[in-house]
Amino acid sequence: MNKYLSIIFLVLLSVVFITIQTTLLSPHNLNYYYPDLNLILIVFLAIFSEVRGGFFLTLGNGYMMDVLSGNLPGTFTLSRLSAYLLVRSGSNHVYLRKALVQGLVIFLATIFTWIFILTIIKIKKGDIGDITAKYILIQGIVNALFGIPIFWMIHRINARFQK
Amino acid sequence: MRFLKNRAVLITILLFFVSLQLYSLNLREKSGQNFISQVVLTVTYYPQKIIYIVSDKVMTTWQDYMDLVNVRQENIRLHEDIQKLRVEKFELAEDGIQNQRLKKLLDFKEIPSYPIVSANVIGGSPSLLRSEVIIVDRGSHDGISQGMPVASSEGIVGRVLTVGDRSSEVLLITDPISAVDAFIHRTRVRGIVKGTGSGCVMEYIEQNSDVSKGDKVISSGKEGFFPKGVIIGTVSDIETKGNFLSAQVSPFVDLDSLEEVVIILKTNNNIVLNE
Repeated sequence: MNKYLSIIFLVLLSVVFITIQTTLLSPHNLNYYYPDLNLILIVFLAIFSEVRGGFFLTLGNGYMMDVLSGNLPGTFTLSRLSAYLLVRSGSNHVYLRKALVQGLVIFLATIFTWIFILTIIKIKKGDIGDITAKYILIQGIVNALFGIPIFWMIHRINARFQK
Repeated sequence: MRFLKNRAVLITILLFFVSLQLYSLNLREKSGQNFISQVVLTVTYYPQKIIYIVSDKVMTTWQDYMDLVNVRQENIRLHEDIQKLRVEKFELAEDGIQNQRLKKLLDFKEIPSYPIVSANVIGGSPSLLRSEVIIVDRGSHDGISQGMPVASSEGIVGRVLTVGDRSSEVLLITDPISAVDAFIHRTRVRGIVKGTGSGCVMEYIEQNSDVSKGDKVISSGKEGFFPKGVIIGTVSDIETKGNFLSAQVSPFVDLDSLEEVVIILKTNNNIVLNE
């Protein structure tokens, strides 16, 4: 029963995070300085989630990003799924329990997903708009700063369901 | 799951190539939307709408409070304005009667117009990769369909990209994949207005054409999406690109602070306005 509650909580959190990211904390309002709550949640799923559905939750979260970013063709879905798998592969590491290391993982996941996406666009000679290395670094830092307290908060709530 | 975990790097490389293929596929067939996209738009509509209503109420309450500060002086000024407007109203009524009489004399025909639906901007893109996308609170339930033009009182805003049941995504004219057939209002010189991310550029203008800074750019209606004669922006700079001229266009509409828009219920099959 608790496992199902945990999944329901994470699904609801996915919708809440993407809603906040498209309204109050949208890049349309905050430009470079918006926190990518969707990616933060995916990194959380990769590190902490005991739920097997973490893989499918990541898939759903990435797809929501694709649809709401102008119906992109799986760009976010697959880049975030890759980030999830890479972080997940090292999720048993003892240092991942430290807040600073978690911040570093979020930072690296941000850099990784942007490199993944921009490489595809560059290969296909698409337009990357105003996205620069400076922007990617800023977003990595913003995500890490937002991510640490968010991790702490979700972890505490989620732990109650998993007991 | 253990299989995925143990081969993360290999699967990442595989996913990269799948992404590459999907991206090419999408570039070739910029088709429409699917059922799952509609579900995502519908699921996110309600929380987005709640946030929009709450933030709108907070802003309105704050604005009301600020307005109260100078309300007495405002009241006196408004009374004076009412007196002036009463005189103007009388004069306008006289002009209206004269206008109708002259129209009859000239056998003037009314320009047909399209029905419109007003919409509130309730959200934007969650990523900077395509931040030139906004979400409005009207969908297929209100008669909206893909490709319909979106405007504000100041000019063209963009066109409908994806339609959900109650909300839709609008691609702004500043998005790099946006293109509008347009002409210079003063000289009728034609070109294509494309988005650049931060603004617009009018391309494929013939080299000897008469274009200068400050010229107004309006839609031609030729590509079938936008009605003819809707203002897009003003020429801010001109340069030569190969055999053509290229003009930087500053959009008339402030796309960063859009709150309300109108969706023109026009499909490609409709007759183009003014033609």
